[in-house]
Amino acid sequence: MRYRTLGVALVASTLALPPSPAAAQEAYTIGLTGALTGPPASTYAPAIDALRIYIDRVNAAGGINGKKVNLILQDDSAQPGKAAANAKKLIAQDNVMLMLNASLSSTYAPVTAEAKQANVPLLFASSVCPQTVYPPADPLQFCTTAFAANYDSRATLAFIKETAKEPVRIGFSAMAIPLSRGEMDFAEQQAPSFGMTVVGKEVIPPPTPDYTPFATKLKDAGANWVFSWAPWVTQVRTLEALRRLGWKGDFAAWAHLEAEGELARLKDGQFYVIGANALFQDNLPIHQEIRDAAKKAGVQYPAEQMAEGWIAGMVIEAALKAAGWPATPQKIADAMSNLNVDTKGLRGGPIEWTRDNHFRTRQYYRVYRWDAAKGTIARVKDWVAFDVK
Amino acid sequence: MRSLRLPVVQLAVNIAVLASIYALIACGYVLVYRVSRVLNLAHGELMMLGAYMLVVTASQFSSHWPVAIAAAMGLSLLTGALVYLFLMRKMTGEMVLAAVLTTVALGTLLRGVMVLVWSAQQQYPAQALDVANTSIALPGGARISFFAALLILTTALVYGALLAFLRFGRWGIRMRAAGQRPLLAAQRGIDLHAMYALAWGLSTMTGALAGILIALDSGLDQTMAIVGLKAFPAALVGGLDSLAGALLGSLIVAAAEVLLIHYVDPLLSEVVPFLVLIAMLVVRPWGLFGTREELDRV
Repeated sequence: MRYRTLGVALVASTLALPPSPAAAQEAYTIGLTGALTGPPASTYAPAIDALRIYIDRVNAAGGINGKKVNLILQDDSAQPGKAAANAKKLIAQDNVMLMLNASLSSTYAPVTAEAKQANVPLLFASSVCPQTVYPPADPLQFCTTAFAANYDSRATLAFIKETAKEPVRIGFSAMAIPLSRGEMDFAEQQAPSFGMTVVGKEVIPPPTPDYTPFATKLKDAGANWVFSWAPWVTQVRTLEALRRLGWKGDFAAWAHLEAEGELARLKDGQFYVIGANALFQDNLPIHQEIRDAAKKAGVQYPAEQMAEGWIAGMVIEAALKAAGWPATPQKIADAMSNLNVDTKGLRGGPIEWTRDNHFRTRQYYRVYRWDAAKGTIARVKDWVAFDVK
Repeated sequence: MRSLRLPVVQLAVNIAVLASIYALIACGYVLVYRVSRVLNLAHGELMMLGAYMLVVTASQFSSHWPVAIAAAMGLSLLTGALVYLFLMRKMTGEMVLAAVLTTVALGTLLRGVMVLVWSAQQQYPAQALDVANTSIALPGGARISFFAALLILTTALVYGALLAFLRFGRWGIRMRAAGQRPLLAAQRGIDLHAMYALAWGLSTMTGALAGILIALDSGLDQTMAIVGLKAFPAALVGGLDSLAGALLGSLIVAAAEVLLIHYVDPLLSEVVPFLVLIAMLVVRPWGLFGTREELDRV
């Protein structure tokens, strides 16, 4: 059981067989191309695992509208070429009604092209939301992922401004991938309007064996705050390299799936993570539900990394339910364009999609850090809402 | 005054750390190439496997980190020898290109197996071993982490030991003989397969040591295999069959990388090893200390 998901993923590209036509007619067939393996897999694989567990639970409870959900997982190792081949197969061979992407942004173009050509709705789940889901949204593209370009930087800079006790000399750390760089460029432009002085920006190529040369520059530039919006590895290794150099400043980063475990590992009271998902230390009933499901399924990843995939599962369930049976890609897209899903506290509010907005109408942020006095993760700032227009 | 002094010493430390990482990885490429003329393109994956072996041994020897490292190194030595005996040995007598392609396939297989066994999530063996990676203050206001300092020391020891072994050790001399004149060596009773297996074992062990120390310093994830590939230009710049060349090549590549990060553009760090390599290939294709030999055109 332990190796089931990734085992399936590894051989999926060669061994995954299409469902028989009869089975396909009797089930909602949805397909996912995602980075189950490859360098950035730690960001995506737990979410995909969570989605699989969620769908398994739905099926065990009788399915949706009396029909099972057939989730086909295809590993693309975060490679555009593999993602393109996966998308072709999912559409042409498996006849999926809904396609999902859970991979690096470099895979978006080929997957989007295939989905668009076949008029199949495409859901970005755990991969960063592309511009096409914000108003005015592409009719066939949707996104449940927590992080949101530009909004995240605005929220983080506002938090830093509110928290800082002295004038802010801010440095930025990005990974050398388009979205991370773009977001840090945006933050760099915005920072002066928050009264901050920008002292440096490091764009760090992946993979880097030693982050110290980059951290040296940020420290040497005199930054008393550093903000990083990048894959977790870049964020946390920049912070650790800075600390090893004796840097005493504050560090703000995006709360990726790994954040909760890492806050407890680092025990750094000046390391703030800002995110749109409630951490499991909040111990909501939904968190216990996810923990129980993860334990029952015997998954490899900690339950604390499963909120993102769980939310995607909730949204898919709601969309398929609304689409009814028999379902078509168009019916599902229509249902998704008018959807309101209660996230039961996993987010600050519902995921609400309209004809024009396939991201969410309001984006909520929370900030956490390690509280050394209490020996636990503490909520520094409760939900703050930003209208998405 | 402080701001002028600090970067210079810290930059020197940063260069030394990065050069040590590259050198420790690069000597694995050199060992295998020197003895068998095979480019091991699975070296990064074998290095990563060694680091994951530390994750395994850390759970067995959680309160004795040197023992855990030694056990992981021993397992890596064995792994390298087994890779030769059960895979690369079959390539003996085949085209070198076939052997190189076999290492590519091995690397792909290893990456998949490692995800299956250890998942894609970050691992922190230092935490499992309960050893703190303290920051050590150096003169000039510079700092270095404990495991980065250990990495520099280890690289020096490994190179010293390997150079002495190859020059004075009985098995080392046999390894050199097997690499330089295999037919003659075999006629003198040297077991070539044993020499090749030893070279693969030592190569994997030194690569694993690099992986282990990087993992202890900053953690372990799926990107480590690519780090292994980044050291490849350093080995080529120095000369693929020269240990001293690997050391110098690593220093040149690391210095260029760190200085360009600091003074020009951090993004250049990704391309600079390959720019240095191209420059070297144009001027001296066999590297700084490599043997000038007939080059195959592929």
